[in-house]
Formats: sequence, C-alpha cells, structure tokens
Amino acid sequence: MKGFYGEFGGQFVAETLIPVLDELDKSFELLKCDKDFNDKLNDLLKNYAGRPTPIYYAENMSKKYGCKVYFKREDLLHTGAHKINNSLGQALLAKKMGKKRIIAETGAGQHGVATATVAALLNLKCTVYMGSIDAKRQSMNVKRMKMLGAEVKVVDEGTKTLKDAVSAALREWVSSCNTTHYVLGSALGPYPFPKIVSHFQSVIGKESREYFENLGIMPDYIIACVGGGSNAIGVFKGFLDVESVRLVGVEAGGISDKDGEHAARMSFGKKGIFQGSLSYVLTDKSGQISNVHSVSAGLDYAGVGPEHSFLKEIKRCEYHYARDKEALDGCLELCKLEGILPALESSHAVGYFIKNASKFKDKTILINLSGRGDKDLEIILENMEGTI
Amino acid sequence: MKGFYILGGYPDMKKFEEVFKYIAEKADFVEVGLAYNDPVADGPVIAEAASKVVKSNIKIDDILKIVEAYKKSKVYIMTYANIFYQYGLKEFSQKYKNLINGVIIADLPNRMHSFFYDNGFDIPVIPFVTPESRDEDIEELKGSKADFIYFVGVRGVTGSEVNFLDTELVEKVQFVKKVTNKNVVFGFGIKTKKDTEKVMTYADGFVIGTEAVKRQTNINEFKKYIESIIR
Repeated sequence: MKGFYGEFGGQFVAETLIPVLDELDKSFELLKCDKDFNDKLNDLLKNYAGRPTPIYYAENMSKKYGCKVYFKREDLLHTGAHKINNSLGQALLAKKMGKKRIIAETGAGQHGVATATVAALLNLKCTVYMGSIDAKRQSMNVKRMKMLGAEVKVVDEGTKTLKDAVSAALREWVSSCNTTHYVLGSALGPYPFPKIVSHFQSVIGKESREYFENLGIMPDYIIACVGGGSNAIGVFKGFLDVESVRLVGVEAGGISDKDGEHAARMSFGKKGIFQGSLSYVLTDKSGQISNVHSVSAGLDYAGVGPEHSFLKEIKRCEYHYARDKEALDGCLELCKLEGILPALESSHAVGYFIKNASKFKDKTILINLSGRGDKDLEIILENMEGTI
Repeated sequence: MKGFYILGGYPDMKKFEEVFKYIAEKADFVEVGLAYNDPVADGPVIAEAASKVVKSNIKIDDILKIVEAYKKSKVYIMTYANIFYQYGLKEFSQKYKNLINGVIIADLPNRMHSFFYDNGFDIPVIPFVTPESRDEDIEELKGSKADFIYFVGVRGVTGSEVNFLDTELVEKVQFVKKVTNKNVVFGFGIKTKKDTEKVMTYADGFVIGTEAVKRQTNINEFKKYIESIIR
C-alpha cells in the first residue's frame, strides 16, 4: 500500500486533507529533483544555516571511556538544532506551491523557532502551536518566535504538550489547507510527511558518511535520540546500507517504566494509529493515547515516526531508552569533558552511551548532537541543583 | 434521514441510557460517539465532553449493551481509528456486525477503508465527501456498501459556522448524489430547524452533533431540542 513502510505509516487523517496531501506529494516529488529548487536550498543550507556541520572527535571523552567518540555537530546550526534543515526545505516547498502562510507545532520550541525563522526569511506568515506546559518550560523560545514575527498559539488542552500542539495544528490545517502549508516538524504524521522530513534531514547522514569515507573507516555505532525521530532518521539514512554499522535510537525513559512516566514507545508501546500514521504508540487497550513524561520537551511524545517502527521490526535499528537522570548526567559530562552544552534531547543519546560505555570499548561511535542546550539551561539547573 | 450524534457514556451511563432510549425512537438514525482523547476532528463542545468520558474509564462494550437494549432506528458508531484498532478490527466486527449499521471514522479517509477491510473489518465504513473532494475520488464511491455518504459541509471541526445555501456546496452535494446514486447526509455545523430546512432542499438527510451533545446532561432540555428539530 502506498505510503507505508512495511505495515507502518499510511494516511489516517480527515478526508479533507487527502487532496492537499496528494498535492504536497506531487510537488515534493517534482521539486526534489529540480535543479533550481535544490540550488536555492543548498545555498541557504550552506550560507544561512551553516552547513556542512563539522564532525568533532571528542578526545577527552574517548580517552575516558576507552573508545573513539565523534559528534555530528547539528547544534552548531543557525537556530541551534537540526530542525532548520527541514524547516528550510518545507518552507521553500510551500513557497513553490504558492502558499502564503505556514503553521507548525513545537515541543521544545526548536522546530517552532526554526520555522518562525525561515518564515521571516521567506516572507511567509507563520503561526506556531505549542502546549502550555512546553511554552512555560521553554519560555525563551516563545519569546524568540514572537520576535521573529510568528504568532504563537498556546494550547491549553489535554496534556498541554507536543501531542496537543500537533492536534491543534492538524485541526487548524483542515480549515486552512487551501492557503496554508503545515511544516510538520518530525518524520511522522500522514504520508508524505515522514518521507519529506527524512529527505530534508538525510543531509546529516550524507555528510557523516562522506566524513567517514574520507577517513577510510566506518563507525561501529551511530547513536541518536528519538522523539518523533527526525534527527535519527536523518543520520541513519546515510548508513542504512552498511550492515556493519549498528544504528541505535535512544528514547526518553523518563523516571520509571510506569505508564505516564516515560516516552519509550519502542520498549513499552504497541502498534497503534495516532496523528496520521500507524506506528508504535503509547496507548492503552481501550485506544486512548497515554500520558508521557520526559525531562526534555522535545522527546515528550506518545508516537514515533513510522519508518523507525519499520526499522525496529526488520531489526535494522535497535531502540533503547535513557532515564531523565541519565540524560542530565550525560549533559553535564559533555559540558565538563568537552565544553559542549547539548540539548536535553541529544543528552539522552549521550546518557545512553555513558551508561553503556563498557559495551562500546575500543569501538568507533558517532553520536548525533541534534541541538544545543541553551534553551534547557533553566531545566538543567533546576534538576541538578547541588551537583553543579 | 434525520440523524443525531450523541456521545456514548456522557455525562454518565445512566443519563446516556436515558438519552439514547429517547433518541432511538425519535430519529431515523443515531450516531453514537466513542470518546477518544486526541479528537482532531471535534470542536470544543464534543472534545471537552469526550475528555470527561475518557477519565471515567467507560467501556465500549457497556455502551453497546445500551445500544443493543434500546435500538429502534439505525445506529452508526462514530469514533477514531485507534479505538477500533486497539479493540481488534476483526474482534469488533465479529461482535457487533449484526447490531450496528456502519461506522464513521473521523481519521479514516476513503482510500484507507481497505486497510480496515483487509484486516477483517466487516461492518460498512461510511465514506466522506468534503467541499474539496475531487470528482475522480467521488466516482470511486459508487460501489460503497454503506447506507449513505457523509458530506462534511465545513472546512474545520464539528460545530463550525457554515452557509448552507452556498452554491458550490449545493452543487457538490447534487453532483455526489448523481454520480454515486447514494443518499447524501449533511454533517457538521447544523444548529437549528432553519438550518435543517435549508439542507433538506438538496441533501437526503442531516446529522446534528454539537447541539445535541450540549444538551445531553439534561434530558428535558435534550427532548425539547430534538422536538424543535423534528417536529
């Protein structure tokens, strides 16, 4: 069936959106091979966003843990995270499709900031939906989006986090889809969004692959955090065909295995239909979507991109989780050993690596640093009082 | 075809039973909503009511027991795909195919019906047409086994404002009837008797949701409202 990765994916949305999704798919397929479109996108990625991002060999960390640790520095991009890759691509696509306005949802605020930024750049009207809990814990990003000229709509329903921001954006899109493009922020939702987002994020994997090919080696492991899964799918894409490279996605383990206290869909979720696609979901047996928790607003989500579910099913990728505490420890360790403050999302990947360091002895590991942690400072300080 | 949507288990099972018993005798068909906590197609009234039902942990089987006990007219279940998926598509179908006349699934577009049928679902899924539906998509609905086609009259959620005599809307409904040879029921945005009269000049039926759910907490208010519509 079109739009599926194995049994995952699909288009579980209102009928109203079907012509719009078809138009989006058609436009994307045409433009992704269009020279002018790609020239413009590549120019912006290079000169505006700051690509290619470096790969940094972390000598201190490597020494301490007895392996070779590299970081893909998506945190050095304009607006502070990999999200700008996708926002630029989709906003250019929207513009080519004749849309005058874009909307987006955001959890941690990074996707909202990236979308508000490209909207300003490309002269598009922009509205960003954000759960009220996230808006409070990421208040600096709310201010940034407003400074960039975006309207921020705070969603005070349901869990008041990313799930409800996505629902609000989907609701609004149903009524405004003729004039508005929804810049979905992760590799999830109805087809063709997972395909489009992973395409625009695959630049991470492409650059990483080139780097290691130039070194004449391949990493043994690639580790990336997984919320919706866009940074992970972006870096994994470059290595899917290299069987020797083990791909590890790290989800938010929250504070316990208990329902509502984590966001580990692959470990504790089941197959379900949520916000546009069939994938692993945290849902109860009556079909209600479970509450989730993570110290990181960007990982605090009940669903995951369908391609990740497929990669788990065919055993090409393995998925684990890091607890809040392990992520915070990972964050602090990277600060102290390498002078890099990672976003709490990326800190889950670092935390997982540190916790399992013995398993990585003598190996070469690439960790995707999806974003920087300035936005999380208050949360980090609040949670690590006494240890800093 | 005069239909009303009521929310299963709202505000509690006793009041739902009262409301269902009454409406089953009065309406040509009843849509019974199964609450979902991510209701992207619902406006604030139904979404808020659904959120209360979800918190009270009411079971689908208990709602359908009431339907079974008092069913007089046709009954359609309206909800979201994950509710059926978690119940088990085959299991739900086998258990209720003789009781209910169809399902209306807000996040299951027509092209995805085959996903349900291929996974053992044997109850007719009611197709949607919207003002945006393309002619070729409408033509594909010719062979549908469903009793009617659900025309979503507004771009937006339930309870939105709509101009029922908009020329494009009227022509679209007429086109659907002509091409598919099926009854077309107009949904979303209908509030008053006047609205229904306008809709019935070109559609075969209507369904009222938000205004009915608003009054589900008070059976007298509910009865008064239904009377005002179907008198």
